[in-house]
Amino acid sequence: MNPKRLHQALTQPFTWWASGLLLLMGIGAVGGVLVFTRGLVITNLSDTVPWGLWIGIDLSSIALSAGAFTLSAAVYLLGLKRFEPVARTAVFIGLIGYSMALMTLLLDIGRPDRFWHALVFWNVHSPLWEVTMCVALYFSVLLLETVPIFGRAAWLRDRWPRLGGFLRGIHRVAPILAVAGLLLSMMHQSSLGATYGILKARPIWYQPGLAGLFLVSAVVAGPALAVLASMIAARVSSRARVDDHLLDAVARFVGWALVVYLYLRFWDLLSMTYSYEPGRTEALQLLMRGRLSVNFWVGELLLGILVPMIILLSGRLRRQPSLRMVALALVVGGLIAHRWDTNMVGQMVVFSQQPELSLPLFVTYAPSLVEIVTGLGVVAYGLFAFSLGVRYLNIVEHGEASVPAGIPRLTPATD
Amino acid sequence: MSAEKIDRRHFIKLFVAGTTLVVGPKIVREVGPAASDPPAETSGPSPRWAMVIDQARCVGCSECVLACKAANDIPPSMAWSRLADRNGPYGEGSFLPVQCMQCAHAPCVGACPVKATYYRADGIVMMDYDRCIGCRYCEMACPYGARVFNWEAFEGPNPLVPAWGTPEVARRPRGVVEKCDFCAHRITRGLALGLTPGVDREATPNCVINCPQGARAFGDLNDPESPVRRALAEHPSFRLREELGTEPRIYYLPPRDAAEETCS
Repeated sequence: MNPKRLHQALTQPFTWWASGLLLLMGIGAVGGVLVFTRGLVITNLSDTVPWGLWIGIDLSSIALSAGAFTLSAAVYLLGLKRFEPVARTAVFIGLIGYSMALMTLLLDIGRPDRFWHALVFWNVHSPLWEVTMCVALYFSVLLLETVPIFGRAAWLRDRWPRLGGFLRGIHRVAPILAVAGLLLSMMHQSSLGATYGILKARPIWYQPGLAGLFLVSAVVAGPALAVLASMIAARVSSRARVDDHLLDAVARFVGWALVVYLYLRFWDLLSMTYSYEPGRTEALQLLMRGRLSVNFWVGELLLGILVPMIILLSGRLRRQPSLRMVALALVVGGLIAHRWDTNMVGQMVVFSQQPELSLPLFVTYAPSLVEIVTGLGVVAYGLFAFSLGVRYLNIVEHGEASVPAGIPRLTPATD
Repeated sequence: MSAEKIDRRHFIKLFVAGTTLVVGPKIVREVGPAASDPPAETSGPSPRWAMVIDQARCVGCSECVLACKAANDIPPSMAWSRLADRNGPYGEGSFLPVQCMQCAHAPCVGACPVKATYYRADGIVMMDYDRCIGCRYCEMACPYGARVFNWEAFEGPNPLVPAWGTPEVARRPRGVVEKCDFCAHRITRGLALGLTPGVDREATPNCVINCPQGARAFGDLNDPESPVRRALAEHPSFRLREELGTEPRIYYLPPRDAAEETCS
């Protein structure tokens, strides 16, 4: 590389952004090797809190990928064709999100070499089996949905026109993929909630509402992330172009979806406070007055639902791009807070075994360094993959028709 | 345009019908009288193994715990059997040994995504350590905290061997969930030799035969003459968290004075 090009590269913010992410990914990879060689003993997970930060990342990244099925269903099943560019972004984010979840799961299970067992040894009674099966199938659907994006990329299309044509041709089955994606996503987004909901050992979880709440909150937060990521990309990259009317319409949908979510959440929480069931009452105390209360009141409800709901439903506020971005970021944060709290709260209340003596014991958990660096590595991978998508695959491109075909975008302007 | 729409609808119909045809029978077969449903609870010829732990006799010496760890080759950091509470509702000096309750309706069996935990024909909840993926969902599902994960590779000699016994089963690899199986290997072998579990030492779980106080009894709930049936006939008993409907197969006899106060 000649000095001129080196200087050019070093002055580009993208270089620094990408290097930072690569560094985090490298550190995460080292952490991952440590986990695989030394075992889960180097984490802060225990027999009382067996599911920790990694599960939080799994749950969040799967829920935040829900924009893919929601927007694909809107475009190909409801016929709202104009949202196709947003759906494309959401599908790409979905592919990244599910691959993040798969990576984190691989770290989390004690025997990563047996990850395929769930596909071969079926226990149809287990919600976790259903989740694994659906995630595996849906990941394949997402791959097929993403392939036309590669086929459309100028650098591929110009070099291998026939391959590009073939990949783009897969777009013809998009409606079929949308049906499959809708079915599989509705199934596993809700059974992720049911994974907790069927556990009668933990009374705060043991209720039918969790399945629906997981699905609805994912339908809220998935499109929110797709719009937020598109807006950020359009601000920092010249390779992303957005149609603000489209994003505004999706943001408005997110606002109304928040109303539905808040409604379900309200009745769910209110009815639980009447049960006075041992274990459930203590867990509710943890949420409302205890260690998780700031997360719960501020993170989940105030900033996660109420504030963004007001912003997104008021046309005047929503049309200010920066305010809309804040609102969408709050929705994403609120979803992560909900998944974290839900996963933790059931594990933090442990029963004394004695009958007639329901003395709950409270346990705590904080992730260890290796859990944090591997988690950061996975998140950095997600951001890196999205950045590459914006730069080389035009995944945020709402004005495609006006772009002259055949401009090789990889080639630098001066050479 | 309209032709395309009809095609799509047609396709969706075919897709749904096809999926139902292919997957449906499988699911119906599995969900119906499912493989992981508990065996019938009627008193048939098949034995239903159960254990009785007498709190009136238990002095909290932990010899059951140590014998279990030696015979099942369990590392020092883990335990299949433990003393959960040293001071129970009946005051100072009553002890509660806890291990897998061998529930007739075990939440862990339904939870396991790969059927690595399952009911043996005689109702014992078994672990298939070659199939377990180590997801630890069963730990979340168990109301008794009876399951332990193998966080660390166990290498070198077991410090409890030979003082407290000799290993009778293979050591488990790192990364799987373990638990008590009522020493199923002793029951299987004992029955093959024509012995009676609960009566003959060689066919009875290690924690039972190693209790110096005789606080534990084992046997077949279907046999009126078994040690467990006789113990349950003589004394009032309770099981842990019965309200959950898991039907545990470990029964506790509370200290006598306390039991008389509670039950009279």
